[in-house]
Amino acid sequence: MGMTRKYWKGLDELKETPEFLKSRDEEFPKEMSVEDFLSDDSLAESSTDRRDFLKFLGFSVAAATVAACEAPVVKAIPYVNKPENVTPGMPTWYASTYYDGNSYASIVVKTREGRPIFIKGNKDHGITKGATNPQIIASVLGLYDSARLTSPTKRSELTTWSAVDKDIKAAFAQVKAKNGKVVLVSNSIISPSTYDAIAALGAASGSTPENETFQHIQYDAQSYAGIRKANMETFGEAFIPDYDFSKAKTIVSVGADFMNSWLLPTQFVPQYISSRNPDGEWMSKHFQFETNMSITGSNADERGMIKPSQQANVLAYMLKNLGSPVNGVSTELSTQASKVADMAVKSLKASKGASLVIAGSNNAAVQILVNKLNMVLGSYNTCIHPANKINMFQSQDDKMNTFVNDVVSGKGPDMVLFYGVNPVYNLSNGKEFGEALKKIKNTISFAGHADETAVNCEFVCPDHHALEAWNDFNPKKSHYAIAQPTIRPLYNTAQAQESMMVWGGVASRGGKDSKVFYDVIAKNWDTYGFQTQAEIADLATYWGLKVHNSVGEEVSLEPVAVTFNAAALSGLSEKLPKTSTLEVEMYQKAGLGVGDQANNPWLQELPDPITKVTWDNYITMNPVEMAGKYATTFDQEHGLNLATITVNGKSIKLPVYPTPGQTPGTVGVALGYGRGANQEKIGRAAFQTKEYGGYAEDENGKLMPIGANAFAFVGSENGTMSYSAPASIKQEEGMYIIAATQIHHTVMGRHSIVRETTLETYKNKDKEAYNPSYTLQKLDENGHHVEAPMSEFDLWDAHPVEKIGHRWAMTIDLNSCIGCGSCLIACQSENNVPVVGKDEVRRGREMHWIRIDRYFSSDEEAAIGTRKDKDTFSFDKAEIAAENPKVIHMPMMCQHCNHAPCETVCPVAATTHSNEGLNQMTYNRCIGTRYCANNCPYKVRRFNWFNYPSYKKFTDINPAQDDIGRMVLNPDVTIRTRGVMEKCSFCVQKIQAGKLEAKKEDRPVKDGDVTTACADACPANAIIVGDWNDLKSIVRTSSDDKRSYQALEEVGVKPNVWYKTKVRNEDNKELAHLQVEPVAHSNGGHEVKAHH
Amino acid sequence: MHKEAAIREPLILGHKSFHDVTEDVCRPIEDKAPKMWYVLFGIAAIIGLYGVGCILYLLGTGVGVWGLNKTIGWAWDITNFVWWVGIGHAGTLISAVLLLFRQKWRMAINRSAEAMTIFAVFMAGLFPLIHMGRLWLGYWVLPLPNQFGSLWVNFNSPLLWDVFAISTYLSVSLVFWYIGLIPDFATIRDRAKKPVAKKMYSILAFGWSGRAKQWNRFELVSLVLAGLATPLVFSVHSIVSFDFATSVIPGWHTTIFPPYFVAGAVFSGFAMVQTLMLVMRKAMGLEAYIHTKHVEYMNIVIMVTGSIVGTAYITELFISWYSGVEYEAYAFINRATGPYWWAYASMMTCNVVSPQLMWFKKLRTSLVFTFIISIVVNIGMWFERYVIIVTSLHRDYLPSSWSMHYPSHIDIGVYVGTIGLFFVFFLLFARFFPVLALNEIKTILKSSGESYKNAPDTHHGHSANENNNEH
Repeated sequence: MGMTRKYWKGLDELKETPEFLKSRDEEFPKEMSVEDFLSDDSLAESSTDRRDFLKFLGFSVAAATVAACEAPVVKAIPYVNKPENVTPGMPTWYASTYYDGNSYASIVVKTREGRPIFIKGNKDHGITKGATNPQIIASVLGLYDSARLTSPTKRSELTTWSAVDKDIKAAFAQVKAKNGKVVLVSNSIISPSTYDAIAALGAASGSTPENETFQHIQYDAQSYAGIRKANMETFGEAFIPDYDFSKAKTIVSVGADFMNSWLLPTQFVPQYISSRNPDGEWMSKHFQFETNMSITGSNADERGMIKPSQQANVLAYMLKNLGSPVNGVSTELSTQASKVADMAVKSLKASKGASLVIAGSNNAAVQILVNKLNMVLGSYNTCIHPANKINMFQSQDDKMNTFVNDVVSGKGPDMVLFYGVNPVYNLSNGKEFGEALKKIKNTISFAGHADETAVNCEFVCPDHHALEAWNDFNPKKSHYAIAQPTIRPLYNTAQAQESMMVWGGVASRGGKDSKVFYDVIAKNWDTYGFQTQAEIADLATYWGLKVHNSVGEEVSLEPVAVTFNAAALSGLSEKLPKTSTLEVEMYQKAGLGVGDQANNPWLQELPDPITKVTWDNYITMNPVEMAGKYATTFDQEHGLNLATITVNGKSIKLPVYPTPGQTPGTVGVALGYGRGANQEKIGRAAFQTKEYGGYAEDENGKLMPIGANAFAFVGSENGTMSYSAPASIKQEEGMYIIAATQIHHTVMGRHSIVRETTLETYKNKDKEAYNPSYTLQKLDENGHHVEAPMSEFDLWDAHPVEKIGHRWAMTIDLNSCIGCGSCLIACQSENNVPVVGKDEVRRGREMHWIRIDRYFSSDEEAAIGTRKDKDTFSFDKAEIAAENPKVIHMPMMCQHCNHAPCETVCPVAATTHSNEGLNQMTYNRCIGTRYCANNCPYKVRRFNWFNYPSYKKFTDINPAQDDIGRMVLNPDVTIRTRGVMEKCSFCVQKIQAGKLEAKKEDRPVKDGDVTTACADACPANAIIVGDWNDLKSIVRTSSDDKRSYQALEEVGVKPNVWYKTKVRNEDNKELAHLQVEPVAHSNGGHEVKAHH
Repeated sequence: MHKEAAIREPLILGHKSFHDVTEDVCRPIEDKAPKMWYVLFGIAAIIGLYGVGCILYLLGTGVGVWGLNKTIGWAWDITNFVWWVGIGHAGTLISAVLLLFRQKWRMAINRSAEAMTIFAVFMAGLFPLIHMGRLWLGYWVLPLPNQFGSLWVNFNSPLLWDVFAISTYLSVSLVFWYIGLIPDFATIRDRAKKPVAKKMYSILAFGWSGRAKQWNRFELVSLVLAGLATPLVFSVHSIVSFDFATSVIPGWHTTIFPPYFVAGAVFSGFAMVQTLMLVMRKAMGLEAYIHTKHVEYMNIVIMVTGSIVGTAYITELFISWYSGVEYEAYAFINRATGPYWWAYASMMTCNVVSPQLMWFKKLRTSLVFTFIISIVVNIGMWFERYVIIVTSLHRDYLPSSWSMHYPSHIDIGVYVGTIGLFFVFFLLFARFFPVLALNEIKTILKSSGESYKNAPDTHHGHSANENNNEH
């Protein structure tokens, strides 16, 4: 088709004017040679004069200056090839298993862009039902510890794996040649495949059944050998049975902190909580006899105070009253304890066959009494399952003692390997043992850090962090589990099992992507798993499923009958601990446990569930006993008195902390502190820091460990470790500053903060008796005063969140919350909450978005938050906790008030209400007036007093200041800068993700889509989150429950958080007297008002 | 001419002529400063600079250098803010309210009281600025049109009302003060001999020529500004009190606060005027203009406002019990008997007991006693704010968060530093500015001057005519 039309862009072009032609022809400048350009005379007449030049200069300098102010731009590099399972911005979750020799749990690990950043319990699979503890959740931070060994060392010098392997193989050959002895000291190994690797080690040492030159000693920092030994004597087999707390209608724990440290708390807590539902068919009754106020004791219905040596007395007392007296064992108890014991006996009698008695003592004689009692009560094969043996805590204390004595006396073996243990730290004679170790020719440690034991070893062959390694576990007979790596090893470390196999000559090094130990595990699971089942025909499917769930199928076990060997009871009294005027008990804290993670700043800063103290251990003593001798109150400026405790000639000096509930005549000291006392490089946060940053040093210029090592007091009694001892105490000069997050311990009789009732009242009386609603008087249409509920009163229009869209809400069941602190660590991990260190905590500036308020009862209160007698109530006395107080743990975070007092006072509207009921904080807009924090009735707002991610004061404690440590930060949550306010956001990033998920699937948001880190982490499921506008949601139902109330409801801030009244299964006449149903208004209106 | 009753005490003592007034006021400006001035200025400057250093450290490091914590978000910062704002109130009250009420005795003190107001408001304004976590973004409290989107200030926040109240107050006070200074600057300009001084004062005098038209306008503007400033006397401290009164914190949430704060402000402001004036009159030889009668008048104001404050304290106590609100009742029990009982006791002694002593004429006309009480009152008023802010916050609703406040040395440094800076400003004022409103004083010389008052007209009429021609 011919082109007949002419297109033109303007009239100039159409008319082809000369101007147009000129500009068209000169559209592109002609090339001009440099010579021509320079020879142009007109250049010399350039109009740039001196002043112009100065202007340009000035402008350029200013422009350059301004440009320099810009923050450097860091470009993100996209993946060239997208790795499998990694979508930028999307988390990937891996099921795995956690086991560190002390705690066990099935976990799920969240990874972002290939980095594990969050650990939570696996609610779908495993024996722990989603329960974890603070140590497990915080262990993700340990992965990014810059103090970890980056490669193997020989005599503290970094070297290579090939060199180490060569030297160690030669050493093995040498030892084998001279028929020398090899000892492997490990924590309790519950991994079946690891036993294969250890067998290779045995072969390398030339050990044969006839000539056992290889010895494997299983040694635990906290030993439970007493239980195995007692079972050996009473039932003829050394084992730890499985316990089922969910079946026990009466639980009597004599000194066992089974919710925190005793055996398998991650399994026991969900079991225990399941029987604590006041709406259930029955609610268990929990008696605790103990020395220190433990987490378990704080949750007990009745608590008796006993000395450690009296555990046997309690058991014998109960046996006597149950009709089976034990000859020779004293039943002497304090009046208080015997009263509780009488109640326990009554309850045990009523629930025979459905009761459980346990004891914390590691003394076999005490455990024999426990076995006897459980026999009498018929607990075996109902609440105790002897068939399902717990494989944890092999605790070969006698073997270990012999070994240590051999080493110390110079009769040591020719080669020692340490795997998962740190005996130099947690033996009472660790120091001598460490010195003696140096004399042994071949010593190898698999520790990830150059810790107390490893520094004394010739070779340190660092093991992977648990999150980098494959493993399998058999925590109890019926249960198998897998641990899978969630990140490629960060450093040049090697899995310990691989090292064993390499030295045993059955494998060769696999490097960073080694499959050596993986193959062993896979083969075992094929042989003992896949081939023993018939459901799945294909091995790959089977193995994929098992790894996906990280749990094997439950092995069903036939119950085994046990017969009690009565001879075990004879001569018990000589083996029982001797009583003393002052006894010390060593216990584990929720944060530090036995001290493996003493370098973890999250755990150091976790307030102890009972004392609320951070960054220290201390001597706990009953304030009643301290009166007049030691300071019983303290604050950020004034510390506590120091004292020295001496046990068996060994002393440690610590501050004396007033702890109500501590048995008079006893003191307590936590294990797990005092690590790195000889400057071992165990981590940056493991040492004391100064007020303006940097490490504190003692007079010799040495770094000072945090707290003191109480393992020094752990003695041996009849061949098992003993965690209590007779002691003497001496007051020392000087005061010690302590950092606690709570310095006031009672609730001052305030009824609208915590509420509790007894099971009897709850069952038989109206809600108004124990959970009265707030009412105010108003005029009705006839002009009469009538009582109307708080919800009818509004100072101003409510935010439009009712019945429209979502309204995120939370309920917290005070009856379930045990105060463990898991939620706090989960929140810290999820929301990048900064660590601020001891000095800032003592100044009252901890940054935790969620805290667990712990209230003790006072003598003025019938129950926490009630006044025994309104007329004689004394505020002064109400400040003092009772000698043996009741305890309530109350998680407290932003209540997301619909009439939020913080929102109205912010001058720049940096904190506002979302149309989904959230109280939002816009960090970028905040100018930091702190008015919102002042006006918050719950005091949950946290101010960034300093620039935590960069100020020098926090360099050694805040992981966000460490290049490696920063990798743990959650990329979904911004790091807050100095001068802004922050607080709980209800994990708004998780809410958004949940909503998106539902949107993608084109369905409304349903229960389970949205959760918060705290709710996710709670081992007791005390926290429920959901959409309150969804009338069928769990949270809505829960908030409508008759136990639900809102804290400080009368202030009228209309929170989106509900608490649920605590129900104790106790007999409390004073409380029952107070909690009466209101009578009709006409014949006694003042009764209603009495609650206001 | 206005004739005053014979029984009224004269406001200007001695045989002062118009010229004498000019001389008395201008002499300190024109003469060399006494050694004492340099000493005082040096001390004030050092303290002020230390305060500036503390502020710079605070701004460089973070608000954490103060002794605040998660429970107590405000302590010395806002205490000092309210204290200084309160001190400022006397100046406005004297210049505006007393002008409207035709209280002529105010003329002797209004100039320096207004100067005090302005410097006190400077100091006050400093605290809300430096107490912010991010001072560099402080301009976000202004309703500036912006490109951040729909971001706007929150008009519900009393803190925003503060911004408007304080800035309005400062600007009105400054204008009022300056307008009053113009004729006096002209007088100094006309007398100045040194060229630099002459130049400076002629700039400051805005070309004042003293024509009748100018005087006419001057009077009018003064009245208008007095009318504007009067509501400010009541509004500023009412609004400052809203910071607390509108909150939900027991001990803060109190409807009595606005009048109680205003009375307290006037109370402390007059006390500060007394402190300054008693020293100044002695040092600058102004006994004839500021004498016992003035002091007595001011003491009566202190007594009346002190009684209002005392009544308010007792009302608060009564209401906390009568309301039956658990938290409110405890807040006041805690104030009186809790860990901060000593602050409460200091407040009660200084503010309730000490002004009542003014009922005795002997005491209220004693200059030494007045000086002591004026300082006592200001200590008491500082404690009042500390008690309100800190003891309410430190034990509020949830006992788990109860806490104590311990000031850091930066807290103390900043506070003491502002006192230093205040005196730097005030000493400069005393050195270079006419400390008495000399032209205003002249207007009452004949009606209230001792030598004219109640004397035969002939004698004084003559000398008055003589002096009128001089400047």
